Amino acid sequence: MELDAFRKSVDQWLEDRSDELAPNHTGAGTLDEKMLQIAKVRRLAYDAGWARYGWPEQVSGFGGAALLRAYLSEAVTARDLVEPGLYSMPEVLGPSVINFARRELSAEMLPRLLRGDEVWCQGFSEPDTGSNLASLACRALRSGDGWRVSGQKVWTSLAQYAERCVLLVRSGTGESSESSESSESSESGHRGITALFCDMESPGITVRPIETMDGQHEFCEVFFDEVIVPFDRTLGEEGQGWTFAMDVLPYERSTALWQRAALLHRRLGALVEAAGPGEIDPFALGEVTRLVYAFRARSRSTVHRMSGGEALGPETSVDKVLLATAEQALYDLVAATLPEQVVTGDDPESERWRAEFIYSRAATIYGGSAEIQRNIISRRLLDLGSDK
Amino acid sequence: MIEGDDLEIFDRSLGYLTAGNTGPALDAALDEVGWHDALFSDQRAAISILFEHQGEENATSSALDQVLVHALGCAGDAVVLPPVGRCAAPGTVKTDRLRARGIGTSRLRRPGTVLVVGQVDTSEVAFEVDSESLRSRPVDGIDPFLELVDIDAEVAGVKQVGLVDWRNALSLGQLALAHEMVGACRRMLQFAREHALERVQFGRPIAKFQAVRYRLAETLVAIEAAVAMLDNAWLDRSPSNCAMAKATAGRCALVTARHCQQVMAGIGFTTEHPLHRYTKRVLALEQLLGSTRTLTIDLGNDVIERRQLPALLPL
Repeated sequence: MELDAFRKSVDQWLEDRSDELAPNHTGAGTLDEKMLQIAKVRRLAYDAGWARYGWPEQVSGFGGAALLRAYLSEAVTARDLVEPGLYSMPEVLGPSVINFARRELSAEMLPRLLRGDEVWCQGFSEPDTGSNLASLACRALRSGDGWRVSGQKVWTSLAQYAERCVLLVRSGTGESSESSESSESSESGHRGITALFCDMESPGITVRPIETMDGQHEFCEVFFDEVIVPFDRTLGEEGQGWTFAMDVLPYERSTALWQRAALLHRRLGALVEAAGPGEIDPFALGEVTRLVYAFRARSRSTVHRMSGGEALGPETSVDKVLLATAEQALYDLVAATLPEQVVTGDDPESERWRAEFIYSRAATIYGGSAEIQRNIISRRLLDLGSDK
Repeated sequence: MIEGDDLEIFDRSLGYLTAGNTGPALDAALDEVGWHDALFSDQRAAISILFEHQGEENATSSALDQVLVHALGCAGDAVVLPPVGRCAAPGTVKTDRLRARGIGTSRLRRPGTVLVVGQVDTSEVAFEVDSESLRSRPVDGIDPFLELVDIDAEVAGVKQVGLVDWRNALSLGQLALAHEMVGACRRMLQFAREHALERVQFGRPIAKFQAVRYRLAETLVAIEAAVAMLDNAWLDRSPSNCAMAKATAGRCALVTARHCQQVMAGIGFTTEHPLHRYTKRVLALEQLLGSTRTLTIDLGNDVIERRQLPALLPL
């Protein structure tokens, strides 16, 4: 299906089914409420067929350009039906699992993710492994029953809801060493990392949600104590984990970010509506509008490149910097324009503005910090050589 | 449309011409290769490619006048621009006298037919004036090589050419200037990058220092934002998209000028290195057809008044 026809049909469907699709909660909603809402939207969109476009037939998709699924994500975000950060997980993990998992495994699992029957989480970061991903230490040893995994993950979004975890482990004997995403991939820390597809109900897994300053507990610590993961749940070959991780990151910074542009645009519109006469500074509003549109324009061209089959690489760091800049500028303007809502308001709308304002402070931290993005830009895009 | 090999040849020849010529010599060279025809056959290619090269080479031409004349759908050699920082049409009409208050490009230093657009009742009308009958002052200003003129003239008995779409001319001119600034910024970043890799302090190139790297990274991000907004504006050439593209390129110019100047430090502050000519050029261009600040405030006020954001380009 062509994008224009798809857009029309999806818009019509969203219009026709708006009552059924609407959230049951008001304001920010609790995490439980938001997750229920996302599952509902996914199920309705999958059963109507829309959520299957843009995904390959081998995972029960209807094929077509990835632009189609990018449009669906944009449409449900722009109508405020889902929280884009939580909704974007299939965009982040789906394509790479398809690229690396055994065909039978992805054919079985992807439809569950796309239909909202399952939640997946991403076990990458560790307590001592933040920006320096290649230093990870969670260990997987070969045993008679499969991989035996022990260690700890942190910042694992939605682990308490997740049926599966896409997990990076150190499977080789090599010691972890200093290197980073901005370095050459041949450096030793990248070797011996393997990606696994792990069932969260496996014995030996403990999940502890972390309460964050926006009052949510989206992030978790996940402890692995001698957890068995069958060998046929290896994503790619043993030792291909770094390649897998590098395959994930461009999606994390393209299609997944595209949805965020829709959110920022919607909330900017809501801010203009909420502001009383003379309350909003025209220069600051013009500046934020420009930043939001520039991020969206960049993200749009990235989505088109990805959908056209172009391999995405370090240039997506520019997208991430533009997002973080626009998001923080927008919510700085929110705080300046609606101080009562952000500081003292306790109604659902105020709570939402406040939660979003606080969450925006993390925009320069998650998905590769502002500093990591600038390291990548200077090393790989400006070719300034190593900083060592 | 200019496509494929033709586009590459067009790009290369404009790169060559702007590197070797400036001012009237560049105008003559552009006439010879038929750049003006390209303006009719492929507006985007003609404007984006020429102005980026012109920016990169710090060259000048009367191409901006030609873009505006073309967009107004009139004949003429030059167009009076609004005063520094401003966007509104520069002419006002009282009884039979035309008052023109604004800026002219170097083309106004030579004889020719000048168009002045002014508001008459609620519509915009173009008037034709002989360049010699316009009282003007040659401007040295911040960038003497740009050879601007300051215009403050009253002319009687001018010839009315007809109704024109000033907004359209303004938009196209804003895109041209935005491309020129992007070209200039790319060259400034190239200078600063080379300097950072060559300049050794504390026993290593300053490009190893994170403080320097981050300034250059910020510069590239600013350039890419301007490029994205230009693409957005060419795909949907609404006045607000063109104004946002110009403002984003203007912001990019200010960021680039600041960071590259700092990275190049002493040598960038001298006239021995060409950086200063680019710094001054972008500071002047940033003010033409709406400064970054004016365009940003106008955008904000427009959103507040209409209680609506500019239309989005669909995916």
